Amino acid sequence: MFKDLNPILHSQLRLAVISILISVKEAEFTYLREKTDATAGNLSVQINKLKEAGYIDVSKSFKDNYPQTVCRITPAGVRAFEEYVRDLQAYLNIKK
Amino acid sequence: MEQEKELSGQESLALITRMINKARRDYLDTGLSALLWGSVITFCGLAAFVNTYLRWPVLDYVWFLTVAAVAPQVIIAIREAKNRKYRGYEDDLMGGIWISFGIAIFLLSYIVNAYNVSEVASLFLILYGVPTFATGYARRFRAMIIGGVACWVLAVVSHFTPFPYKMLCIAGAAQLAWFIPGLIIRKRYLKAKEKNV
Repeated sequence: MFKDLNPILHSQLRLAVISILISVKEAEFTYLREKTDATAGNLSVQINKLKEAGYIDVSKSFKDNYPQTVCRITPAGVRAFEEYVRDLQAYLNIKK
Repeated sequence: MEQEKELSGQESLALITRMINKARRDYLDTGLSALLWGSVITFCGLAAFVNTYLRWPVLDYVWFLTVAAVAPQVIIAIREAKNRKYRGYEDDLMGGIWISFGIAIFLLSYIVNAYNVSEVASLFLILYGVPTFATGYARRFRAMIIGGVACWVLAVVSHFTPFPYKMLCIAGAAQLAWFIPGLIIRKRYLKAKEKNV
């Protein structure tokens, strides 16, 4: 039996966001939008879902009088991502 | 990436790989700091060498240019930080290495002047090699690894070389450690910027 893949992460945009955030310390909303080619609205919704799951931290501030949203992965997010990758490897029968 | 799409296992893995690679490849310095210091140190080294023959009093103070170069360096650092849309894990590490290098250079300059230390060029070259090699190693940037090693090789060469030629060792090290890698980084940066416009 295969373990079910984490439904929060098993979505195209959310997985893309978390994969970027695992590679960097923190990233601005605009950077994530640029890398994922998502619309601001859709990205905003998915970021909220990741935040509600406790996988990312979102901080809002102002930079040069413009609102700035910075996202960073939490330890719970790192654990969830690692578990997701392990489950995926098991699902695909990939040996380490 | 507009709609929520059900992913297959293979697609998930491919997406993770693509995004991690995108973020990794995205590390781009502007190269301006490396070019600045590569130019300044090369100029100072060459000026000190030429001045052995010219004996212009003003060129005796040429190394003070390195103090003046701190101002544009600060401006470059502030502008780069302002334009950066993300922070990598190793950014703080790199910052720490180069700040500690700056402090070490400042202290070494004071010590060699206060105590009239000989083999100054070799000491500076050994120090130049440390952050250069560390940066190249951490960033997997071969030009800076070669530059760092070149500094150490030139430190040994400089030890067996008479005075004015030691200055050529310093100029050569600045070219190999900073100016040439700076040119490569700058070229990559401008290429990536052009792609994103």
